[in-house]
Amino acid sequence: MQYRSRFSRLAIAAFLLAGLSPAVAAAQQGTTLSGRVTSATNGQPVVGAFVGITDLRAGAQTDAEGRYNFTIPATSAHGQTAFLTARRLGFQPSTVQVTLSGTGVITDFRLPAVAAALDEVVVTALGIERKKSVLGTAQQQISSTDLNQTSSMNVINQLQGKVSGVKITGSGTQGGSNRIVLRGENSINGNNSPVFIVDGVAISNRARVGDPAGGYDFGSAISDINPDDIESVSILKGPNAAALYGSRAANGVIILTTKKGGSTNSRMRMEANTSYTWETPSILPDYQNQYGQGAGGSFKYVDGQGSGDCDGCDQSYGPKLDGRLIDQFTGKQQPWIAHPDNVKDFFATGHSLNTTVAMSGGTDRANARVSIGADNIDGYVPNNTFHKTNGLLNASLKLNSRLSSDANLQYVRNVGANRPGVGYTNGIMEQFVWFGRQVDMEALRAYAGKNGSANNGPASREFNWNYNYHNNPFWLQQDNPVQDARDRFIGRVALNYKLSDGINAQVSSGSDIYRFGIDQRWAQGQITGSGIDQKYFGGFRNINDYSNENNTNAVVTLAKPLGSHLVLNATGGGGIRREFFNTTTTSTTGLTVPNIYNVSNAAVTPSLAQTLQRRQVNSTYGSADLTLGDWFNVGGTARNDWSSTLPSGLNSYFYPSGFASVVLTNLMQSMKGKLGISYAKLRASTAQVGNDADPYQLRTTYSGLSTKYFALAQFTLGDALANAELKPEITHSNEIGAELAFFEGRVTVDASGYWKYTKNQIFNAPVSTASGFTAKSVNAGKITNNGFEALVGLIPIQTESGLTWNSTVNFSRNTSKVTELAPGVSTLLLGSLWNGRIEARLNQPYGAIYGKGFQHDATTGELLLSGGVPMPTATPTVFFGTIQPDWTGGWANTISFKNVSVYALLDTRRGGKLYSVTNMFGDNTGVLSRTLYGREQDWDKPGVVIKGKDVDTGQENTISVTSEQYFQSIYPSIEPYVYDASYTKLREVRVAFDLPSRFSNRLNFSAITMAITGRNLVTWTSVPNIDPEFSYTTGNYQGIEFAALPNPRSWGLSFRITP
Amino acid sequence: MTYRKLLMVGSGVALAVMAAACNSDKLTNLNTNPNSPEDVPPGPLFTNAARVAASRWLGTTYSLRQTEWLSQHLSEVQYNDEDRYLRLHAGDTEGSFNGAYSAELKDFTQIIAKGVASGSPGTYAPAAIMRTWEFGYLTDTWGDIPYFTALKGDSIGGSLSPVYDAQKAIYTDFFAVLDKAAKDLAGATATNTLGTADPVYAGNLLRWQRFANSIRARQALRLINVDPTTANAQLTAAFNAPGGVFQSNTDNAIFKFPGDGVYDNPWSVNFKTRDDHRMSLTIMNILQGNNDPRLPIFAQPTPADPTKYAGSPNGISPARAAAANYVLNASRPGAIFYSGKTAYGTFGGSGNTYPSYMMTYAEVAFIQAEAAERGLGGLTPGQAAGFYNAAILASMAQWGVSTANANAFLAQPSIAYAGGTPGLVQIGQQKWLALFTDGGQAWAEWRRTCQPATIKPGVDASASNVPRRFEYPVLEYTVNEANVSATKTSHVCTGTRVRLLLLRTLRDAGSDNTKLLWVRKAPRKFSRGAFFC
Repeated sequence: MQYRSRFSRLAIAAFLLAGLSPAVAAAQQGTTLSGRVTSATNGQPVVGAFVGITDLRAGAQTDAEGRYNFTIPATSAHGQTAFLTARRLGFQPSTVQVTLSGTGVITDFRLPAVAAALDEVVVTALGIERKKSVLGTAQQQISSTDLNQTSSMNVINQLQGKVSGVKITGSGTQGGSNRIVLRGENSINGNNSPVFIVDGVAISNRARVGDPAGGYDFGSAISDINPDDIESVSILKGPNAAALYGSRAANGVIILTTKKGGSTNSRMRMEANTSYTWETPSILPDYQNQYGQGAGGSFKYVDGQGSGDCDGCDQSYGPKLDGRLIDQFTGKQQPWIAHPDNVKDFFATGHSLNTTVAMSGGTDRANARVSIGADNIDGYVPNNTFHKTNGLLNASLKLNSRLSSDANLQYVRNVGANRPGVGYTNGIMEQFVWFGRQVDMEALRAYAGKNGSANNGPASREFNWNYNYHNNPFWLQQDNPVQDARDRFIGRVALNYKLSDGINAQVSSGSDIYRFGIDQRWAQGQITGSGIDQKYFGGFRNINDYSNENNTNAVVTLAKPLGSHLVLNATGGGGIRREFFNTTTTSTTGLTVPNIYNVSNAAVTPSLAQTLQRRQVNSTYGSADLTLGDWFNVGGTARNDWSSTLPSGLNSYFYPSGFASVVLTNLMQSMKGKLGISYAKLRASTAQVGNDADPYQLRTTYSGLSTKYFALAQFTLGDALANAELKPEITHSNEIGAELAFFEGRVTVDASGYWKYTKNQIFNAPVSTASGFTAKSVNAGKITNNGFEALVGLIPIQTESGLTWNSTVNFSRNTSKVTELAPGVSTLLLGSLWNGRIEARLNQPYGAIYGKGFQHDATTGELLLSGGVPMPTATPTVFFGTIQPDWTGGWANTISFKNVSVYALLDTRRGGKLYSVTNMFGDNTGVLSRTLYGREQDWDKPGVVIKGKDVDTGQENTISVTSEQYFQSIYPSIEPYVYDASYTKLREVRVAFDLPSRFSNRLNFSAITMAITGRNLVTWTSVPNIDPEFSYTTGNYQGIEFAALPNPRSWGLSFRITP
Repeated sequence: MTYRKLLMVGSGVALAVMAAACNSDKLTNLNTNPNSPEDVPPGPLFTNAARVAASRWLGTTYSLRQTEWLSQHLSEVQYNDEDRYLRLHAGDTEGSFNGAYSAELKDFTQIIAKGVASGSPGTYAPAAIMRTWEFGYLTDTWGDIPYFTALKGDSIGGSLSPVYDAQKAIYTDFFAVLDKAAKDLAGATATNTLGTADPVYAGNLLRWQRFANSIRARQALRLINVDPTTANAQLTAAFNAPGGVFQSNTDNAIFKFPGDGVYDNPWSVNFKTRDDHRMSLTIMNILQGNNDPRLPIFAQPTPADPTKYAGSPNGISPARAAAANYVLNASRPGAIFYSGKTAYGTFGGSGNTYPSYMMTYAEVAFIQAEAAERGLGGLTPGQAAGFYNAAILASMAQWGVSTANANAFLAQPSIAYAGGTPGLVQIGQQKWLALFTDGGQAWAEWRRTCQPATIKPGVDASASNVPRRFEYPVLEYTVNEANVSATKTSHVCTGTRVRLLLLRTLRDAGSDNTKLLWVRKAPRKFSRGAFFC
């Protein structure tokens, strides 16, 4: 019976709400109230605001220009005064007193904005725009303004610190890939990246990357998108929000919507944005400057390859830098002095100039927007440049009253030059970890016109300080050109047909097509991991990728009122996704004639590789939701996929989702105002997403080698056992959320809790190699991720004078656990370097760090020492923690006063561990400042006596060792080099000034803004010597650092014209 | 009208989607791998597997940067962690174990299956011989290893976590496999050989027989301390099997490298960019002590003094190496291993084409000499001197020493065969020299014979014994834990005395010498010589 009484209350509430609608309020003659509602912040019209007189249950919503108009019947009120209120969530309401006298009353409102909009219109799955208040799943939308507070090469960088539930790692290399994961990693060994949709087209974020062991990071393809063209970014965090995008959406969806034209009465609108920034490395190691190159305190240069005293080695345990005269690579008997800034001096100040100009316009039948963007970037690594040119055309045409068409076409050319190598074998920072602290960087800079013979080195080598292990870093960047270029088209055409009121059919087809080429040339003398044969004149590697993904869909959408309080929204359709990827690589380690980087000039048999991949997924899908009044929404989605990559007959899989949401404050108006509540919504959803395998996983095949051994062909059977019976993998997710606003929106909260897991994972489970195979493709394993995320908006200060402090806090906590692996498998290696291993280990969070530690006494826990140094454990099976942070968060603040605003964003990561090989080798080689302690074994600095138990005597250790002996003995143990990866960064700063409107208006612009911006200005961390935020790859091998380039610290100026 | 048309188009598209979706076969046909075949002929498999096998056991990791230091042919003068046994744990050595099984051993197994199916001994026997040659390195390095149930991951019911078999059973099977191979080859015709796809003997079946019998003799002799009866029986069988053992250097099992920059001798590849290898003081003392004419071939003059040859001690700290400046004051390995220009200078010229010696006649003659001295294999002590001289002359010839110089070397009192226990010591030492570049065999022979006796851990080594075996791969403890642990327990004794031993084992970088069958003091009665450390 309780149900009935509640229902009647609901019915009354619905009736009351309905009574507020303009249709009901429209009446005979009386007083007409009209006016315009604009934003006090930017003067823009406020659309969808409700203006009304609550007592009389009369009012209207504002139109696209912010105008409202309604009439109070004479019978209702005449000659009396009433309170007219304008309110819209996201703005502070305003009330004026009016007199209802029968003559028209014109009242304009300027509403100050409040913290965050909870009922704004957002872009949801399939590009459908819905009010956020009816959504049943977590979704966050970032506006163009919030996204582009500062400028960066990559749109993902610009999301850092702004979105809850998202983990973003900036690239460890200039222009490199960055990694984004929503709500934790789902997949043990597969892709954990969300799918990116640009204006309805699924686009590739394929990356060509290295890892901490070496390689080159050629970035990820999402960096092609020009952030200035983006109108909004919608982040659909869970699979719940994403079931309609198919398999890949199990990891979430990021919908990028570009700016469109609009009806301007045929007048042209122009917008422009330009910024100039200066970049420097944010963190460099803390080097010692008291001892130079050498070992055991001695050094003498003869030929840089071992003929002198340690002149072929590259550590800094040499003589004291006291100005004594020593033969050096720069000449005989040179003063032996420190060059404290030699590493810093290698790097340049980077410069970026980013410009976007866009024009738009149209009539009510046709409109278009065209934009041209150009980025010209000089990185902080010498000779490293990036050029991006970007053109985007968005057009829309109404052919007749039923038929309309939208089209967009984007062309991008993204060119990188001389990207620095990464990691152990190629990293440009590597040789500053193995380094002579006395090395004069200016002497290396002046290498031109000299070769190795200038200082007794090999004549075929460039002038350098060491010929055994290193190349001159300037020469590497200047004389070993690496060019990469991507030409890309992203386009989509959609034809819409209005079948009847509220029923539309759409056929659309969109493609993302690119060619990506890497032309890498190694000069003679290149020794850093290129395999160049010194007998010849250098070598090259040429990579050509072609990627084409097409999605064609036919859908029918329906939005129909059913009776007076119910609205049905439904979508049904089908689609075909086709993927094609083709790559060829040509390389040789030797050239016959210098400077001709052509395969016909190969002195060493060129190595050729070719891979072709196809996939097709056919789908049918549908979604439906039912909205009751403006307070209840319930719905679901369903999808069936047929994938080419699963076994015939077993390749069909179905997955559903369901959700419900209720806006409590609309259901029970009486709630409003209590406890300061002005808006309250609860939501819950559940979803399942199926996923197919990668292509060609069903049969084990033989791989051939393109190179011939004495003209003989060679084949080998693949290392991974295929599985002819693969099933789709399944992700389950449940989610609840609350969206609350208090004090008329000055405080808003959008919080979600989720529980999800992915099971039947398709991955290559390791097997004993003694079986003849390293892995077997299986359907096994399960990862669970449970978490909580919240976005809190606050307006602590808002005064009549126009002073506003707007603050946004986001918080995310995700708990990951590998709950199942394949039978008999307790761990899976994700990556390893120098005795540190990143593993997916049973019952640990995903990404556990294992490695060699020190041996400790079993009973007392004391360190066991032998000869005064700790003893590494024999096996790398000591657990050091996990790479997963405990929580991450961001705090954005904008303080504005009249036409000046100051913005700052703090981005933090707490907890989780990392293993820094830079720190390990920096100690081993004695370049870091902390290796000064215990350097010499004399009366002044009597070495180091490590506290612990001597394993031979069983007594407290008394043996003193020098830091050189100590650090060179401990190194197989990673124990000292696993750090708490926490950091807080002052991620973005912007101080902006709007020119007085009299200037901008005269030029027909709504605003002209000038700003000073900064990125990554300060980093607070306990990790020594490195930037704790690093990534070499968009893949799952994270958490081990070596010679990572620090994220740039940048300062910039920007100039923006808003139409 | 437009309405109706569009509706038709719309339904048409929807139907097309449904039709495509339901046509499962057409869709899954897209998934046929266009890049790699599902079957290939045995020839190209053999070429690749043989190349990878030779490069693995005689290449840069197992040989050059691990066992050549353990056997003290070479020493490391910069960042000498390996030479101090710091970098000889499972994570550092497991690559050879994992790689051998998952790459070439698997392919040899495929070839054997194909050859047996087509009834071609000329195809399956060479693969079985190569497989056994390789398993010899594996079991002599790790002890008990997966063998009988190994390499069957792709067959129905095949194990993905094979059990570890006792070394004794593995040895027994070696002899059976080699026996069958030699016999089957005797009946084979030239038409079913691998032909030119065989990079070792180009399809010469007699040479394959001799290689099979020589490997049989190598493994048989290794049992001499623990199972002299089997050793004797198998030596006899090997010497008398069809084809016999190697009879001259022309029988040598050699893996050639074209030196085309793609397939170069692995040592030369390493020396292109790394200059941290020098001759060990241990080998240089012996070469110089006997005026060995191989000295200027094995080694180069020191960088500091072109008139001088010198070694550098194994297992010293970087500081000690730097203080004595061994980079400068010790000899690089011979110029024959360098392929011209390196990153740090020019040395030698044709090292890229230098072949890998998988097994030589010199080794076989030393086996015969030792068998003769011990009166095994149907040989008598009186024959020992002849085999000893032949072995030394073969080694000299193999390394390019003139016959005159070789004879002069042999004529020295310290070299002339002494017979008895001193003769066995001479055989041990000379064999160790002849095995230069084959670090794995040199290390195995030292573990069996303790010759040369001057092999001791370096002063700064992290262990007080030279390691006797490698640790099992880390991966085995996660995916094959029950089996790998079972083999461990079968060798570990219990009791208070052994606790101490275990402690030392942990410290001594895998020097647990209880885990190898044949590295053990033999009962005195079987011993003719004082051959133990």
